[in-house]
Amino acid sequence: MSENYIQGIWRARYFWTHLALADLRARWRRSFLGVLWSIIQPLGMTLLLAIVLSKMFKSDIYTYAPYILSGIIFWECITACVTGGALSFVQADAYIKQCKHPLVIYTLRTVLTSLIVLALASTSLLGWSAIVLPQNIGLHWLAILTVFPILGLILWPLSTLLAYIGARFRDVPHATGLVMQALWFLSPVYFEAKMFRQGGLDFLVDYNPIYHLLQIVRAPLLEGKWPNLENYLFTFVAVVVFSLIAWLVGRSAERKVIFYL
Amino acid sequence: MKQPYINLHAVDLHYAAVAFKERSLKSLLAGAFKIGSRKAEVKDVHALKNISLQIRGGERVGLLGHNGAGKSTFLKTVAGLYPVSAGTVEVRGEVRSLFDLSMGFEPDATGRENILYRGLLLGLTPAFMRAQEASIVEFAGLGEFIDYPIKTYSAGMQVRLAFAISTAVGGDVLLLDEVIGAGDANFMAKAKVRIAALIEQAEILILASHDFGALSTLCSRGLVFHHGEIIFDGSINDAIAEYKRVNGLI
Repeated sequence: MSENYIQGIWRARYFWTHLALADLRARWRRSFLGVLWSIIQPLGMTLLLAIVLSKMFKSDIYTYAPYILSGIIFWECITACVTGGALSFVQADAYIKQCKHPLVIYTLRTVLTSLIVLALASTSLLGWSAIVLPQNIGLHWLAILTVFPILGLILWPLSTLLAYIGARFRDVPHATGLVMQALWFLSPVYFEAKMFRQGGLDFLVDYNPIYHLLQIVRAPLLEGKWPNLENYLFTFVAVVVFSLIAWLVGRSAERKVIFYL
Repeated sequence: MKQPYINLHAVDLHYAAVAFKERSLKSLLAGAFKIGSRKAEVKDVHALKNISLQIRGGERVGLLGHNGAGKSTFLKTVAGLYPVSAGTVEVRGEVRSLFDLSMGFEPDATGRENILYRGLLLGLTPAFMRAQEASIVEFAGLGEFIDYPIKTYSAGMQVRLAFAISTAVGGDVLLLDEVIGAGDANFMAKAKVRIAALIEQAEILILASHDFGALSTLCSRGLVFHHGEIIFDGSINDAIAEYKRVNGLI
């Protein structure tokens, strides 16, 4: 990636921030509750799941509900970026055919939109945790803020990679839908880590970047402690791996995307 | 500021056939069983063939050629949108292009909002666009409709607004593709004056058109494209004569 390319992203900053905000406006346009829906929707789902699952798995509903809520809102954000990201270039075809901007601004738009929605939704998670688990409130809550840049740095290259492939093969959104469902099932998103461990599936927790990412939020909120170094290490590896692959693919794919739109 | 220039050396451009071939599972299976072989085979399109030329600051270049000769591809290559298969493209100076005017509007936003959005697409700042807004609204002449959502606009109104925004700022290198010819007669007259002013400001103009009158008044140099090749490069009047000869118009 050349210096010019990065400068191009910076020069287009007004454009991609506008696109992200326009997406948000479009999402809430002409709806009575508007922004609130981003908070109500996961809350409602959590309530339902927590009641059913805590009975099924005999978990303590007080800690399990915020556990599920954190799983729901982060998973929502990740799937939005993965499936939506694959179509980022296809949707922006009108812009790509007219103006030469770095293509990554169109995936940045998708990621930024999802992160903003996530930030809004996580206020409900914070509120819930503060009420149910007030003993966990402390300085370590600051660690929650670090999850947003980290998640952004994972999702941006990942959705860019998928967008390069998705421009040429329109099967990608369907395929990612399937993959995400499998990943969801294999990761401690709704199911607690201890359930995996009880079944002897420790590796699905210990070597799973999704677990470590969620742990950055769950450790302070639900366990009242700082996330550990391992959590950061695993997410950092995910950032590096996805960035590297996206860069390698982008070197030849970036310029050809326009032909496939 | 350095003098803008455009330098193309031995440029080839192919449209890869995979980009527009059907890539569904259906066609894959049909291919495997040799069904539907009646379909014509789709090959790579060789859109520009060994193009070498230089355009210096101050030149006004007109592009002529039949439909599909490579005029638009050439313009998009100069704008940096299309990657070349071989050769080098060097362009110095701020490029401003008017290709497809009505693309990229946000249908739910008002005309006034879209002025800002489109300006941002062109890489301009919000402050600059706010300063330009009044004059753009004036020029588009849409009356109270400027505060209505774009989806209520007629096609002609959209073109007027797009034209007013896109031409509000000039550049060193101006690329125009058949834009002269939109809007009603009243707007056309205004548009022509506006384009003339833009052309005044620009260091380099490249205009693709079938309007010989416009070409001979606006341009001094003419390039004739024929099936992806430049077959003539010289004064605009000679180029028009050559174009007519090649395409059997005289």
